Amino acid sequence: MAVNNNNKKTATSKPDEQFDFFHDERVRSVFYQLLTAAAVGLAAWYLISNTAQNLEARGMHTGFGFLNTAAGFDSYFKLIPNEAGVGTYGRIFIIGVLNTLYVSALAIIASTVLGFFIGVLRLSSNWLVSKVALAYVEIFRNTPFLIQVIFWYIGVFSLLPRVRNSIDLSGGAELLLLNNRGLYMPWPVPGDLFWLTGAAFIIAIIAVVILKRWAKNRQDKTGQIFPTFILSAAVLIFLPGTVYFMTGMPLNWDIPKLEGLNFVGGATLPPSFVTLLVALSIYHASYTAEMVRAGILSVNKGQYDAAQSIGLRPGRVMSLVIIPQAMPAIVPPMISNWMSTIKNSSLAIAIGYPDLVSLFMQTSLNQAGYAIELVGMTMAFYMFVSLTISWLLNIYNKRVQLVER
Amino acid sequence: MASIKKVPALSAAPPLSEVSVLGWMQKNLFSSVFNTLLTLVTLYIIYITVKGLWVWGIADAVWVADNRRECFEISTDGACWAGVIAWLDNIFYGRYPRQELWRVNLGIFFLFIWMTPLWLPRVKAKISIGMTTVFLYPFLGGYLFAGGEKGIFMQIMLTSAIVCLLANTIHSIIGIFSGRSLPEFISSLSGKKNVSDKTQRNIFLGFLALIFVLIFVWQMSWSLERVPWTKWGGLFLTLVIAGIGIASALPGGIILALGRRSRMPVIRVLSTTFIELFRSVPIITVLFMATTMFPLFMPQGFVLNKLVQVIIAVCLFNAAYMAETVRGGLQTIPLGQFEGAHTIGLGYWQTMGLIVMPQALKHMIPNIVGNFISLLKDTTLVSIIGLFDVLGMLRSISKDLPWLGLHKEPLVFGAILFFLICFAMSKYSRHLEVKLSTGHKN
Repeated sequence: MAVNNNNKKTATSKPDEQFDFFHDERVRSVFYQLLTAAAVGLAAWYLISNTAQNLEARGMHTGFGFLNTAAGFDSYFKLIPNEAGVGTYGRIFIIGVLNTLYVSALAIIASTVLGFFIGVLRLSSNWLVSKVALAYVEIFRNTPFLIQVIFWYIGVFSLLPRVRNSIDLSGGAELLLLNNRGLYMPWPVPGDLFWLTGAAFIIAIIAVVILKRWAKNRQDKTGQIFPTFILSAAVLIFLPGTVYFMTGMPLNWDIPKLEGLNFVGGATLPPSFVTLLVALSIYHASYTAEMVRAGILSVNKGQYDAAQSIGLRPGRVMSLVIIPQAMPAIVPPMISNWMSTIKNSSLAIAIGYPDLVSLFMQTSLNQAGYAIELVGMTMAFYMFVSLTISWLLNIYNKRVQLVER
Repeated sequence: MASIKKVPALSAAPPLSEVSVLGWMQKNLFSSVFNTLLTLVTLYIIYITVKGLWVWGIADAVWVADNRRECFEISTDGACWAGVIAWLDNIFYGRYPRQELWRVNLGIFFLFIWMTPLWLPRVKAKISIGMTTVFLYPFLGGYLFAGGEKGIFMQIMLTSAIVCLLANTIHSIIGIFSGRSLPEFISSLSGKKNVSDKTQRNIFLGFLALIFVLIFVWQMSWSLERVPWTKWGGLFLTLVIAGIGIASALPGGIILALGRRSRMPVIRVLSTTFIELFRSVPIITVLFMATTMFPLFMPQGFVLNKLVQVIIAVCLFNAAYMAETVRGGLQTIPLGQFEGAHTIGLGYWQTMGLIVMPQALKHMIPNIVGNFISLLKDTTLVSIIGLFDVLGMLRSISKDLPWLGLHKEPLVFGAILFFLICFAMSKYSRHLEVKLSTGHKN
């Protein structure tokens, strides 16, 4: 017993090791950190004091007060009303943010759909089709995005015909018109009772969610498959449809009409917007395509064989076995691709689309000065978006991991 | 009566579908009605595209003309390549004085000579060659490109660079023929055998010192005319910016990545903040920040020229991106490697430099090359803030009086140029990946 105790004691207590101040890991760690902090602090102090001196010498003001002063210019494309000389810089900021988010959101949707399509073509058993898809991917990934944007703008969208000779994309119906002033399209104007249709649509969505849950429970219990897809499509179309017709079709379309030299009415998208949308979609689709391909290829081939051997049809093999397993590999890079779509929309500046960078970092900076505030706010917006997206991505990753193990 | 065949039966010929062209086509192009339809539609699309491009770009294109109007007179629906050809010098060199162009060419040639040994299997000491490329070549190249008065520091660095270039070249030539290194060769000249490493090194250093003195004296006798940075432009400027960005991104990225994985909270937080800040904003905002805010950061009276501002911005931006690539590579190294290095008594820097980094870098090669490609592509953005890089030059063709309004052809030319460079790089990285893979998969 006594011997045992002794042994334990020697095992736990350290041999007579002296505390060596200069070679202790913790002391060193604290020292290095202090050194780094001091160096960074000193550099920051140096830059800030220089900036303060420079600002004083140039008679420049600082502070965010300018956001409440009226801006002497207006954006030609905006989602909220504004007027030159009346709207404030704060409003310009909001216009810029909305414009950036608007074009990015549409581009993200378009590029994801197109990218999935190209990615599937890339995996096609048809040799020619897969090579064409490969050529698409290689061409758009290996040329600078800026050249592509400028090419679309100058080489394609500036060469569009004048208003009188507009290209009719709707095949003679004069609904979708493309000319060198932009893309003209009808815009819905809701009537008095239109909210009822909206409400019916929401009720239909809720009904579909409940139906899906019920069908899944039933399948888990009895093994019978309920045709949810057809039924939910029917509910989604018929319920709002019936309400819409019963309330007397309270939705009017504002259709663009040629009056004098220009189209009046409807909604207009300027050429710069259409250019940016097309360029972003095509460029980022080439990245999405590779991610989709890599994701689907990352699923073990045995999974195909097993799924086929239990008698699943090819479509079901994809939707029930392959895609769910490929998603964890596809989603993280795809979300960072979405993030770079938002960042690349800043190249709007090259073709004059008034996004945040162009309105705030260029025009406002030239008009008002306040370099630090303007640059800071613009960067802060992008950082906010990026942090939000990576936060969502982390949540997704955690969920996927929990499901896996 | 059973018999045993001594000779194996001849194997049957492979089925026709596996070897013949028709069989291959049947399998890969016309395996079903749907596939046949798909093939035909694709063929039609390819035909339309290729025909359109052929007619516009080659068949009806104008190669020789004095101005755009002449182009139109010869052909109305073809490309006017004459404009691009007339501007080729500008596209490649910008407004660099024409009689000094040899300096740019020589500088690029020296870089080529300097780096070729890295691809030659028999040459030794590749790491030192690589390091000297990053740390000494910039002085040689920089002086050739910029010229002007040489300060004493520049004289020393320039001389070292030339000495190093000479030593590298001789070393590689010897390496190709005999597989030996330059120090071994020099000490073998003295006739003695079995020279110790230390004497070998001393003889080598003495040899280098001798050349250094000779070249130092020689370089005092000449100097190059100064070419201001505003004259730099075209592909040359793009490569200078991208080259400096690439050379600094890797070391910067490694330091930041190690900082982000560090156990010391202050260093970790600072590195993470830096990386996330620069990764979450578009590069154009960083460039705007550089041109509007850097002048405010500098002490009064000190003016930073635009090129330096841009280069600093590009370096900061790319270091942040490279850091994430390096971190991704570090994460592929299993913990056992760190622990193994620890047990044999290696410290932090030895563990990283000798055990972890060599393995991690190998994993990272495709991503690093991917980073370099996107850096090269992103360099075109400097044209937005008014530098005349290759895109800036291509766009100014349409403002040149004889070629007024010639937009499309220069852009197509630029796209082809970048495609060739980037595609070659990505193919090379694919090749390298295969060559370096040792079959270990973690």
